[in-house]
Amino acid sequence: MFRLNLKIALRNLWKNKAYTLINMGGLAIGLASCMVLLMYVAYEWSFDKQFKNNHKTYVVYNLANASGRIFSWAWTPGDMAPDVEQSIPGVAYASHSSYPEDRLISYGQRNFKKSGVFADPSFLKILDYKFVKGNPDKVLKGVNTIILTETMARNLFGDEDPINKTVKLDNAEVLKVEAIIEDIPKNNSIRFDYLMPWALNVKVNPWMKTNGYEGNFCLTLIQLQDNNYFERANAQIKGIYKQHKKDSNSEAIMHPLSKWHLYSNFENGKSVGGRIDQIKIFFILAFCILLIACVNFMNLSTARSEKRGKEVGVRKTIGSSRKSLIGQFLLESLLLALMGMLVAFVLLEISLPYFDELLDVNLSINYSDWRFWSALTGLTLITGFIAGSYPAFYLSSFEPVKVLKGATIVGNSSLSVRRVLVVFQFVFATCLIICTTVIYQQLSYIKNKPIGYQRAGLIEMPIQGNFKAPEKLNTLKDLLIKSGAVSSVTSFSRGLNEDGNNTFSVEWPGKNLKDETLFNFRFAGLDFVKTIGTDMISGREFLSSSDSSNAIINESAAKIMGLKNPVGTMINSQGTPLNIIGVMRDFVIESPYYRARPMIVYHHMREVNVIIARLNPAMNVSNAIGKIDEIIKTLNPEYPVGRKFVNDGFEQKFQNEKLLRTLSNWFGGFAVFISCLGLLGLALFMAEQRKKEISIRKVLGASTTNILTLLNRDFIRLVVIANLIAFPLAYIIVNKWLSAYEYRINISILPFVIAAVLSLLIAILTVSVQSVKVAKSNPIDALKYE
Amino acid sequence: MIRIEKLEKIYKTEEIETTALNDINLHVKEGEFVSIMGPSGCGKSTLLNVMGLLDKPEKGSYHFMDTELLGLNDRERANFRKRNMGFVFQNFNLIDELTVFENIELPLIYNKIATSERKRLVNEIIERMNIVNRSGHFPQQLSGGQQQRVAVARALVTKPKLVLADEPTGNLDSSHGNEVMELLCELNEAGTTIVMVTHSSHDASFSNRIINLKDGHVISEKMNKGRNEELI
Ligand SMILES: Nc1ncnc2c1ncn2[C@@H]1O[C@H](COP(=O)(O)OP(=O)(O)OP(=O)(O)O)[C@@H](O)[C@H]1O
Ligand SMILES: [Mg+2]
Repeated sequence: MFRLNLKIALRNLWKNKAYTLINMGGLAIGLASCMVLLMYVAYEWSFDKQFKNNHKTYVVYNLANASGRIFSWAWTPGDMAPDVEQSIPGVAYASHSSYPEDRLISYGQRNFKKSGVFADPSFLKILDYKFVKGNPDKVLKGVNTIILTETMARNLFGDEDPINKTVKLDNAEVLKVEAIIEDIPKNNSIRFDYLMPWALNVKVNPWMKTNGYEGNFCLTLIQLQDNNYFERANAQIKGIYKQHKKDSNSEAIMHPLSKWHLYSNFENGKSVGGRIDQIKIFFILAFCILLIACVNFMNLSTARSEKRGKEVGVRKTIGSSRKSLIGQFLLESLLLALMGMLVAFVLLEISLPYFDELLDVNLSINYSDWRFWSALTGLTLITGFIAGSYPAFYLSSFEPVKVLKGATIVGNSSLSVRRVLVVFQFVFATCLIICTTVIYQQLSYIKNKPIGYQRAGLIEMPIQGNFKAPEKLNTLKDLLIKSGAVSSVTSFSRGLNEDGNNTFSVEWPGKNLKDETLFNFRFAGLDFVKTIGTDMISGREFLSSSDSSNAIINESAAKIMGLKNPVGTMINSQGTPLNIIGVMRDFVIESPYYRARPMIVYHHMREVNVIIARLNPAMNVSNAIGKIDEIIKTLNPEYPVGRKFVNDGFEQKFQNEKLLRTLSNWFGGFAVFISCLGLLGLALFMAEQRKKEISIRKVLGASTTNILTLLNRDFIRLVVIANLIAFPLAYIIVNKWLSAYEYRINISILPFVIAAVLSLLIAILTVSVQSVKVAKSNPIDALKYE
Repeated sequence: MIRIEKLEKIYKTEEIETTALNDINLHVKEGEFVSIMGPSGCGKSTLLNVMGLLDKPEKGSYHFMDTELLGLNDRERANFRKRNMGFVFQNFNLIDELTVFENIELPLIYNKIATSERKRLVNEIIERMNIVNRSGHFPQQLSGGQQQRVAVARALVTKPKLVLADEPTGNLDSSHGNEVMELLCELNEAGTTIVMVTHSSHDASFSNRIINLKDGHVISEKMNKGRNEELI
């Protein structure tokens, strides 16, 4: 019986090649889209989960209370980890480590600026990295030692065996290679190229030893013996700041490592999601696209039911039960789903490298993973069942007598179900078009919004090696300007796009004692305002080294301080008295979506870390860059140049939005395309079904235009209804999305108009491809042989 | 009114060429009722379709009231057709989704007749056809004879000069068939020219003239002088 059914199913699919192709194509694209999205979701989900004990590992967060608001970050004091390990029961290990930072590593003539981390031996107990060479129990114990990743080792040593050889850190410390570990996968929150002992960090920065609970400069990881201890441990760690520092306004909490990547946003000390929100959107999108492909199938199958009706009638009269008919139709849809899956596979393998690049991730099909295969099988079965269910039950319900007598069986019910399905598809497609347009608008609004300085033509590079000496820095400045490549040069304590470096301890005349505003602080060289292309609202910028006890504040700071005449006012920041000499226009350092934070800028050449230069517009960019690199190379030959465009760094701030835009663009496009396939199939069928009617109309004098209007009218009505449903829905969605941004566009009518026009146009074009043919055909062919 | 000369129609398929019409010469006068008879496959429907501008012949000429019709393009043919001709088919060819009234109204819509005028014309013909109480029904709800009367009504509602009927009684029993034939005769008496294809010599006896086709040739023509007397 099954063999017979299979044979009939295959013949049926073969006989109706156009439908089979449309169905299969739709399903394949739907399945492939769904799988790419699911793989992306799984990838994001897999972050930090490759460690054996990730479920009982926690990241310590510092919740700092400032004027009733709680700021949260995973920066903690150096003494915390040893204290936790000693005093909190149930803790298996606690480690402190630095955050990854780029440093120069050299072996012989080979120099690399790569990111490194300082960590305790227990760091390796908590995170079980895979050792290729060396013993995990014996490493990170000496001071001048290092662990390399495989790629780092290969870059430095080529084919040599690195163990026990020495490399140099920042041209100063000589470190012995103790072990080699596998490269850190991309789906890891802590990524580095080499690992060094914490003791070395303390050796280089002796202040760390005595800092106690003053500064937060470590990442503290805790691993529990088991999770039963969590409640108690978390309660105990809460007061750890106050225990060691009476006036501390911080509390500590333990945040699961496995949630670190996806749930990184905190609001008033509570975890409020983060990336997970986007992941949820993608997850829903994945299934919606698949559903759309299923809807296509349902639509076409029921539309075709008239042709299948006779088969059903005959089968029923010769004794087939309804159950076996349902089986037959389901088998057919499963077969199609299977074929779709095969094509989807090909599409997937072709497109994955492209998506990897686009999303900067590392997605690949792991063929030996049982989860992959079960997901695949599950997806195919679900698709087959969903797609086949309605047609199967509908078709098998035909009454044989009626069908065989030739009564019209495509009753109103199936017609309206089909209409509802088409409307559903187009609601989804229209929503996606609207959302994508709004994302585009918001992005371009933010990008074109003035950010307070001229970021085009600005470059920055780290102050490292020889440039740490002020005379060399001055030489560099002179040479750069003399070469004509740049028009002005300044320096800054951080990159223009980098955040961090902030403080609550700022005093000013008339400050409310309860006020705890977080100020950014920075150090800037001369010509800062001129170089970055912003301007002073009042006062002046730093003119010489005698300005070291003066400060510039930004507009926001002036507003917060509520000073009538800020210039000339004395303030105190972190214990240093400062005289305000100017107020500078606000400019974007952190998020372009939010108002600039108050900032204080000091002038201390010892504290600057970044050179910022404005390219001379008179020289073409590649020439200028060549000259700059050459000058830097000769003055500081041991270090890589490390020159970056500020604009590129700025673009990074939009990564999330760009990702959303890219994905909604692509998958929105796919959804629209699949819907069109469905529409095309339906039009194909309708045209065939109405061939006789159309011919009669033509004999009676209908023109081609008459016929086209007739055929399109129905579809247009459906699309219009879909639009009407989609508008409020999309409005709610984009409104919610936008409300997360302080700077945002007003929702205009434009996206809705675009969506309406686009969806109508697409529908009309799709339907017309088919109907033009019918409308132009010779009527007598259809009428002659009834 | 119709003057067909040296008409030739060839169907080409992959395997064979069929000469459906071969050197046909045919004249039809205004107000005439002509029957076309002949064995199956001899080209009767083809000839009718050519006359109705539904098919294009390869050669020959076709004058309709002194206009040559064979050079016309699709649009001109469609326009000419809807103004001058009405069709009745063996299988009725009513549109299942439309009611009797709407089916009859359709050609008027395509002829861009105003709504009120349409209504008047349709009601008039419905009354004449004796199907008043059926006007809201769908074709499936009618008997074959009733359907054919609706089809005739639809063919007549535009008051065409020429009515082309392809085996109008082919699917009907003899009494229903007679109803339709009487209808056609009335019509003819009112002045409409009719060309009808038929297999039945009974039906043919209603006409003025019978043309016999065989293998695409006209083999004989016979005047049917007794027709009027018979009717009386
Ligand atoms: N579209 C077509 N393609 C090829 N051959 C055709 C086509 N239409 C008709 N023919 C051939 O042309 C010839 C005439 O066909 P036509 O339909 O005019 O016959 P007919 O006299 O109306 O027959 P019947 O009495 O059975 O209706 C036949 O041999 C038929 O096979
Ligand atoms: Mg025929």
